[in-house]
Amino acid sequence: MAFLLRRVGFYVAAFIVAATFNFLIPRLMPGNPVDIMFAQAGGTLPPEALAALKETFGFIDQPWPAQFVTYLKSVFTWDLGLSVKFHPLTVNEVLLRALPWTLMLVLTSSLIAFAIGSLAGILAAWRRGGRFDSIGAPIALMMQAMPPLVTSLLALFVFAIYWPVFPTGYAYDPEIDPGFSLEFFCSVFEHAFLPIVTMALAQVGGYLITMRNSMINLLGEDYIVLGTAKGLSDRRLRMAYAARNALLPTVTSFAMTLGASFGGALVTEVVFNYPGLGYTLFQGITARDYPLIQGQLLIMTLAMLTANFIADVLYVALDPRLRKG
Amino acid sequence: MRGLFNILLANRKAAIGAAIVAFFFLIALAAPLVAPFDINQRVASPHEAPSAEHVMGATRMGRDVLSQTIHGTQTSLIVGFAAGLLVTVLGTAIGVTAGYFGGKVDEVLNLFTNISLVIPNLPLMLVLAAFIGQTGPFVIALIIGLTSWGWGARVTRAQTLSLRQRDYILAAEMLGEPAWRIITFELLPNLISIIGFNFIGSVLYAVITEATLEFLGLGDPMVVSWGTMLYHAQSTSALQVGAWWEMAAPCLALVLFGSGLSLINFAVDEIANPRLRTVRVPAKVLAALTNRAANQGGRA
Repeated sequence: MAFLLRRVGFYVAAFIVAATFNFLIPRLMPGNPVDIMFAQAGGTLPPEALAALKETFGFIDQPWPAQFVTYLKSVFTWDLGLSVKFHPLTVNEVLLRALPWTLMLVLTSSLIAFAIGSLAGILAAWRRGGRFDSIGAPIALMMQAMPPLVTSLLALFVFAIYWPVFPTGYAYDPEIDPGFSLEFFCSVFEHAFLPIVTMALAQVGGYLITMRNSMINLLGEDYIVLGTAKGLSDRRLRMAYAARNALLPTVTSFAMTLGASFGGALVTEVVFNYPGLGYTLFQGITARDYPLIQGQLLIMTLAMLTANFIADVLYVALDPRLRKG
Repeated sequence: MRGLFNILLANRKAAIGAAIVAFFFLIALAAPLVAPFDINQRVASPHEAPSAEHVMGATRMGRDVLSQTIHGTQTSLIVGFAAGLLVTVLGTAIGVTAGYFGGKVDEVLNLFTNISLVIPNLPLMLVLAAFIGQTGPFVIALIIGLTSWGWGARVTRAQTLSLRQRDYILAAEMLGEPAWRIITFELLPNLISIIGFNFIGSVLYAVITEATLEFLGLGDPMVVSWGTMLYHAQSTSALQVGAWWEMAAPCLALVLFGSGLSLINFAVDEIANPRLRTVRVPAKVLAALTNRAANQGGRA
């Protein structure tokens, strides 16, 4: 419990740091921060809305510390201001509309990659130098060097443009009404298939290598030798003895990879015109919609912190040493 | 150092990787000589397909794609190595300082390292790049360097912590050696494999990240690099009109260069940690071992 509480304290600190970046970056740029930030806003926002927006971001007639407190207050009440590009929607509404799609892509692809990568890593380590290992490990390595940008473009071109098996954009067929119907679910699946596969491909190699290396290091331990000497079955030794402990570093890397995978989702969504956070952000960048760009940093940080917290809970479950502390 | 170099060359993965990276270096150095066409001139019809004259085809503006890719290598390599160097220097300095001095210094530095690790990199870079505006290659290198040192710092700190307990460090401290001397002459040489691993990984990360930022429209569109080539191809819907070659060339360059770097890194990892090697045991040795086991009546 104490361990988890300490972690939560750390996450709050990290979130404040992310908010501080948002606060400082416009103020450190040469020129008037208000002009920079809301340069595009004059055209779309009415004057009262613009005044409210300025206050949300702490642009008030007071010294910096007071401005900072005002901004933090907005952030912690989750008032992220108005979107310039998607006016009259607030940044919050724009992000929440896009978030479920991104979460679906990230979580599904990460779980698939984690399951396949870890299992393959266990097998590669168990028969180290065998056929599977000597083919699998270098392939995993090559896949890690494949930027998500490249895999997405390749998948889009081959399976959506050259052979139009999959759609080239949107999260579901606009002619189908969203709802709990089989037709709708099929459409969602069809549209999410390529993004999920490309995102999973980008991560699977990393899990394979982490699991393989951590497993190989464990297989030299005395308790494994003892297990062999006791005559335990290979399967039991592999899964319950070696893999269980080898999983610890992978859990940490799962949380870290999840962050990278949010970044990967940004790119994949832009390539596939998929209406998640990344694509929304891309539209925001082209329109220089700074409140939206800042909002996505906060929401991505929040997603990352949540993933880390879940990893902490898993860590406690997997590593009994942490339960007492 | 010479010994390390020889070991690296003897490793097949490292040798292939080094050859690929060296190839890109040569291309970057000799770009104006080897590029067949002027990249600022219209030399072909819009979206001309690959032919003997234009091996990689042409862009919508009628620029030769191969020549652009060759010139883009310069930008990508400069950004990659500059950002990689910055990431490594920052990560090593922070990691070693935290690990060696311990106590309050470690607590503060470690807190910052951990915070930098949980704030997602790409979104933070997007905020920075969006505010700076048209970000040229050097600004991109700076942004990547300043935001991505966390992983290196964490690994270096962990290794420094374990080295700090060794007898030879204690001995140097007993002799009254100053801290800077212990760090530069006792610690750093023993961290060289981690520093090298960090550097190569960071270069790879920087090259990919630069391309990503530019693809998302945050680079300077006037600079020719692999990322801006992809950006222009995307904004002129190159794939949709069937001009795949406009995307294929920079993608291929990215993948090839990335593979070269990861091969080197994989080899460094294997050399530093011999347990990870995928070497096959020669058949003769295996036979001898099995025979011995059989003769002794034990389980193989």
